[in-house]
Amino acid sequence: MSATAKLTLVESKLLAREPGSLFTVVIPLFILIVFGSSIGPDDTTLLPMVIAIAIGLVGLYLMPTALATSREKGILRRLSTTPVRPASLLVVQLIVQFVLALASCGALLAVAGAALGARLPANALSFIAVFVLGTASMFAIGLLIAALAPSGRAANGIGVLLYFPMAYLAGLMQPVSQMPAILVRIGEFTPLGAFRQSLQDVWTGAAPDPLLLGVMAAYAVLVSLAAARFFRWE
Amino acid sequence: MPVIDVTELTKRYDGRTVLDGVTFSVEEGEIFGILGPNGTGKTTTVEIIEGLRTADSGSVRVLGLDPIADGRRLKEFIGVQLQHTDLPDNLKVWEALDLYASFYERPRDWRELLEEWGLSELRNVRFAKLSGGQKQRLIIALALVGNPRVAFLDELTTGLDPQARRATWELIKQIRATGVTVVLVSHFMDEVEELCDRVAVFSHGRIAALDTPTALIDGVDAEHAMRFSLAADVADDVLEAVRGLPGVGSVQRSGAVVTVSGRSDFATAVTSLLAREHVLVTDLRIDKRTLDEAFVALTGREFDV
Repeated sequence: MSATAKLTLVESKLLAREPGSLFTVVIPLFILIVFGSSIGPDDTTLLPMVIAIAIGLVGLYLMPTALATSREKGILRRLSTTPVRPASLLVVQLIVQFVLALASCGALLAVAGAALGARLPANALSFIAVFVLGTASMFAIGLLIAALAPSGRAANGIGVLLYFPMAYLAGLMQPVSQMPAILVRIGEFTPLGAFRQSLQDVWTGAAPDPLLLGVMAAYAVLVSLAAARFFRWE
Repeated sequence: MPVIDVTELTKRYDGRTVLDGVTFSVEEGEIFGILGPNGTGKTTTVEIIEGLRTADSGSVRVLGLDPIADGRRLKEFIGVQLQHTDLPDNLKVWEALDLYASFYERPRDWRELLEEWGLSELRNVRFAKLSGGQKQRLIIALALVGNPRVAFLDELTTGLDPQARRATWELIKQIRATGVTVVLVSHFMDEVEELCDRVAVFSHGRIAALDTPTALIDGVDAEHAMRFSLAADVADDVLEAVRGLPGVGSVQRSGAVVTVSGRSDFATAVTSLLAREHVLVTDLRIDKRTLDEAFVALTGREFDV
């Protein structure tokens, strides 16, 4: 097996052994099940919310912690003395985390479809586009956290600190219909808020708002560039 | 051709000169020691050789290759055990060896390494659950799994109990027997004396001395000292007579304690004189010559870890 293939296998095993992984998959599922039973099959609010929660947790909390821990433990440094470039490890970790995010989303859709009879978006392409953009924008922020955090624990702390206000503004804690309009508007300019709203639009069968897509794309590109610029390897 | 060739390395950090013209070479198959307290540039030197850092000036060639320009090619042939490395908490011992083996084109069979380093029974144990000594053995094994021609070992036996230290030393000697060149960074005098064919003693960013451990120790014959306490006061001319003995370098007296330093067998001459003059002394000590003394002599400072 090639080095990259083996790295991917090992990182997947490690992610599966990490208690945090279970946490990020179970929490959105839990919320779905608890609140899902009290809403009808025509609901277009709950699934977008829990999907956004899942992606937010992976992007802001699980992924940055994993990357920052690799650096803190000297693993990246040790790798730079082998024929394998440390960047390969980071890329593999990102891919593995993305697959986890996909799996989490898949689990949410499966449970919602099967157990709650919820409707799934008819326009698959729109949904995929929104999903990719949203995940990219959240991962970009996670990468910046990983770039700057001095340790795995610090990344963990920063991620959690960022997550709650972002989640609130994005309408993940309280439905937007119950939030002050000004906060909802601010939230739409955050990637998590734009993500949730776009998902909701896709669920209602409407075309996603280009402005929101633009917000997510801008974060994905600009924040990634910043992360690449500031990334510390040691 | 030497396996490692280092010429006039210099390095500055924040205006401080860390390396000030370091030059040495390492021959194939030898165990080469790098000895010095923290801050004298030994870790920086080794990291430059490994390609982890760049020097401000000077050149390095390892197996004829430049560690920066030809880094990827060179890394196939070297194995590095860094001082402060951890592995992921949940990674099992065999998984770590299997993974690192996959990085190299012609690795060793990691199952053999498991055996050699006493890790067979620990193959399924996760890294976080290993003891300090077990972790250290794994990390050294990882440096060797790629079948390197040159192995860089930094503080090899820190955290190991005396038995484990000796066992590790034997394994390092076996490694040398297979033709691998070993660069050993250490602050343990006994380790360097035991293992190294030659030692470079670092001080203030320069090499203060480079020789075999035995030659270094013999070379500082002059600083060999003896100490005793006078049971009763003696006339100054007795101490003058001691000063005049062949081989005696200096005589210092502080209250009742007299320190005599000199070369070769001056101690016997001194004790003979004291006996002839009926000078009673107590607490006679003749300091054993070791690499510690050589270090102090060569660098002008105590070895303070």
